[in-house]
Amino acid sequence: MYPARPRILSVGTAVPPNKYTQQDVISRYRVQNPTIQNIFKASHIKTRHLYLPPADPNGIPNESQSELLKKHRKGAMDIGFQAIEACLKPLGLRPRDIDMLCCISSTGFMLPGLTAMFIKHFGFRTDCHRMDLVGMGCNAGLNGLNPASSWAQANPSKLCLMVCCEINSALYVFDEKIGTGVVNSLFGDGCAAVLLRADAKDQKRLAPEIIHFSSHIIPDTWRAMSYHWKDEHNKFSFYLDRDVPYVLGSHADKPIKKLLDSLDLKVRDISHWIVHSGGKKVIDAIKYTVGLTAHDMRHTIAILQNYGNLGSGSFLFSYQRLLKEGLVHRGDYGVMMTMGPGSTIETALLRW
Amino acid sequence: MNLTTIDYQIDENCATVTLLQPYSNMQMVRDLTSVCNHLEDECAAPIVVIRGSNGHFCRGINFAEFNPDAPMDIHGFNKWEKMCVRIERLPKITISILEGDVIGGGFQLALLTDFRIATSDIKMQLPEVKIGFLPGMGVFRLAKYIGLGHAKRLILQSKSIDAEEALQLGLVDLISDDLNNALGATLARFSPVNPTAVQLARRLLNESFHDSFEDALGHFLAAQHRAISQTSFLKTIKKEQPS
Repeated sequence: MYPARPRILSVGTAVPPNKYTQQDVISRYRVQNPTIQNIFKASHIKTRHLYLPPADPNGIPNESQSELLKKHRKGAMDIGFQAIEACLKPLGLRPRDIDMLCCISSTGFMLPGLTAMFIKHFGFRTDCHRMDLVGMGCNAGLNGLNPASSWAQANPSKLCLMVCCEINSALYVFDEKIGTGVVNSLFGDGCAAVLLRADAKDQKRLAPEIIHFSSHIIPDTWRAMSYHWKDEHNKFSFYLDRDVPYVLGSHADKPIKKLLDSLDLKVRDISHWIVHSGGKKVIDAIKYTVGLTAHDMRHTIAILQNYGNLGSGSFLFSYQRLLKEGLVHRGDYGVMMTMGPGSTIETALLRW
Repeated sequence: MNLTTIDYQIDENCATVTLLQPYSNMQMVRDLTSVCNHLEDECAAPIVVIRGSNGHFCRGINFAEFNPDAPMDIHGFNKWEKMCVRIERLPKITISILEGDVIGGGFQLALLTDFRIATSDIKMQLPEVKIGFLPGMGVFRLAKYIGLGHAKRLILQSKSIDAEEALQLGLVDLISDDLNNALGATLARFSPVNPTAVQLARRLLNESFHDSFEDALGHFLAAQHRAISQTSFLKTIKKEQPS
């Protein structure tokens, strides 16, 4: 018999309790610079969920590197667990049922990694397999889904849980630079978990099969998105080159073509687009390069507006929103697409 | 392709789609969709011409084919609109040749193309509202071509117009009773065709009435970056360099 392909059985997400408008953030830290204020207001983001510290006596956020690392850990514990629970509960599953745990994060370095911490605190089995995928940025969700689904394929009927944990408010510097303003107005905190399994008995479920992946990296731009240690701040700062949206946009059709060609599919055959909410400009660039409509991008845009760029888990928030809409039909094809440092574009083909 | 309602021919410069029946129906929607697939995937000709036969372009929906006792079905209209979007977004220059009756669905088809050549005998009309239904997304497209006032007059009165009035309103770009000559001259005017630039420029034009300026600026920059990244564009730039 033809072996069953891995399917995404469930998705769960969680964000911190406190929600901020762009104006809330500007007011909270008394941002006076009109250019920075405009960057916040022009970002097409309405609200973000963040772990924000109170302003110090100078009116600014002032957290040491060790406080930021602690925030990352604590944030991942809180909303990581909520996302896992939201993913497993609908299927009546608990962490102890999971055979493989993959954790993805770029917002705080830990050793041992998140998987070890989750196993200690959340009741996963001690013989649970583990993978921590660290430092791959916004695209990492698909870099993780690729080996996770291979694992599921190689271990039929076993459950693989992948958790994207990004506490972006644990990685920032605060100054008057334009680049800093762009980064600080863009990212939000959020975790997303998906459950995979390759099992013939899941065929009855309206759960998409993962068909295959296609990657594309642009080595000429390998520093265009990057972390830099800043001695003056004693923290990491995230650098985002201004050409990133266009570079990613102009290459976006390459992995898509490869992804679709092998099944002789065309862009018009894809019913659902699940694209990373990188920012308004990169969304536009992909729309006009791949030939997608505002309707195709509705979930990507809505997640950007309501949560900001959530890093590696963003596309799973869009995926969840797509499922909630209830317009997915058996036989539909979907494409997942994430973009990030490398510079890279990762894609996956789904079939319901 | 097994086409029954249309004929599809390709020569070097130009693909020609001929509507073989005076009425539009679901088979024509399927046939035109198949042709769109071929035009997008395989056809190298940069220009497509859509024309009618036997002296008429198209009279639109044929109620004789409807079963009045069956429940009315909205999904057929949705399929028609999906086909319209495919034609409107083809990576080609699209030209329609209008003769005789250009009515209902025929009028809508004409609005999808980039250029309209008409013979002097045409009658253009959207009769739907007087019959009691709607002229498709013609209600959306027509006002962009001719303005809201004129569009209300044409749609709400089901007013029929002749070639001269259509030309004045901008619904027709050229009147000629020597179609071969007119088409030849028109093909020359559009050449050379850069399909990517055509598609991007047309999309921005079609979106120009409903996007905000700020959104449109973002879209323009994304589209322009795509255009200037084309190898064909870079080659043209190189040719212009002083040696």
